[in-house]
Amino acid sequence: MPQDSPTDTAANGAFEPKIVAFLCNWCSYAGADLAGISRIQYPPSIRVIRVPCSGRVDPFYILEALQSGADGVLISGCHPGDCHYLTGNYVARRRFAVLNDLLAFAGIDPGRVSFSWVSAAEGERFAEVVREVNERVRQLGPNRKLVKRECG
Amino acid sequence: MSREAQLRKRARELLADKCVVMVLGYRPAKREGAVQPAFITRPEDADALVFDDRCGMNLAAYLPRVKHLGRIAVVAKGCDSRSIVGLLKEKQVARDQLVILGVGCEGVKENGRLSDACTTCAYPNPVICDEMLSDNAPERKPAADPLAEFEKLTPDERWQALADDVARCIRCYACRQVCPNCYCPTCFMDASGPQWVGKTTADSDNMMFHLMRAMHMAGRCVECGTCSRGCPMGIDLMKFNRKVAKIVKERFGAVAGLDPDEPPALAAFDPNDKQEFIR
Repeated sequence: MPQDSPTDTAANGAFEPKIVAFLCNWCSYAGADLAGISRIQYPPSIRVIRVPCSGRVDPFYILEALQSGADGVLISGCHPGDCHYLTGNYVARRRFAVLNDLLAFAGIDPGRVSFSWVSAAEGERFAEVVREVNERVRQLGPNRKLVKRECG
Repeated sequence: MSREAQLRKRARELLADKCVVMVLGYRPAKREGAVQPAFITRPEDADALVFDDRCGMNLAAYLPRVKHLGRIAVVAKGCDSRSIVGLLKEKQVARDQLVILGVGCEGVKENGRLSDACTTCAYPNPVICDEMLSDNAPERKPAADPLAEFEKLTPDERWQALADDVARCIRCYACRQVCPNCYCPTCFMDASGPQWVGKTTADSDNMMFHLMRAMHMAGRCVECGTCSRGCPMGIDLMKFNRKVAKIVKERFGAVAGLDPDEPPALAAFDPNDKQEFIR
């Protein structure tokens, strides 16, 4: 699979999305770590923010990322049943479900905000998720809705 | 005995017997033809109370602010009673600190017409009460899904319609002030460290406010429409409220404000919740 790097895109002028990724400390962050130490290649478009649990991700963080100019947001936590805090991701799942449907209702392109479960053992899966999210956001183009501009 | 006479009589009795310290109801406002909340503490003032189709404010909103006074009697329509159930669930008021005076409601009027929120009301009668002041209002057949038309639009059209609507918001927070769900001592809108939401009326900040407000209403809003009626700019807040209520009902099978023993939908979970949107 061809890999992207900022220099490549700067050279050919293609759109390189900015994606904010909220990864839970116990699973997805470790999964990203595994992808790294296994030298699995994936697009460098994500900016990782480590959170203690996917349950720590307030829907507001997600909207705030979009408002601050992120083109996409990825939220990833432990698989259901594997939460370090037992039920954090179950409670988070309900919030994410409502946010997901509300954003679709409000006309924010589905695909701007993605959710996934990635365990600490799934380095290859993490890379795959990022590739997929990156590709989807790239096709959507730059985020124009909800972004706070200089005036108005 | 008419509903209003019964209301005044019971308010007088409850106050005279020192059964409650306050009766929370409605009284005529100074502005001709309007009503306002009444906080009656003396039996001789009970005759000021009224109840008719202008009484649209959700009185449950005042309970967290007056509960420290002692036992309160509150006049409750269907929607008020559901908000009280919500407050009981969230432990904002104690059941034994309330005397709920139920009234059947035929819908409230707004500018002479049935209020928009009332057209989809499925609970005109109190779901919880200590005594009824009137007979039950006839069951109403709620109008068909009021979001159906809107949801047929394309995402861009929906975004534009909502963005145009909330662009008029002047951030007066009337919607929050009248809402029984909004009892937080410090609202996320007022917090300054961190400052969660930009306080300007820029389109983006307005949309953030309304989306986050909707998120906070999920599983809690009883669609009483008080926020919509209270909005000085006429923003269709019910669109957001109805949508989150619909999501919560479809996804989790939960309806806000019916069962005091059931936790709020977003404070609970089911291991088998659908997760088709999660990769």
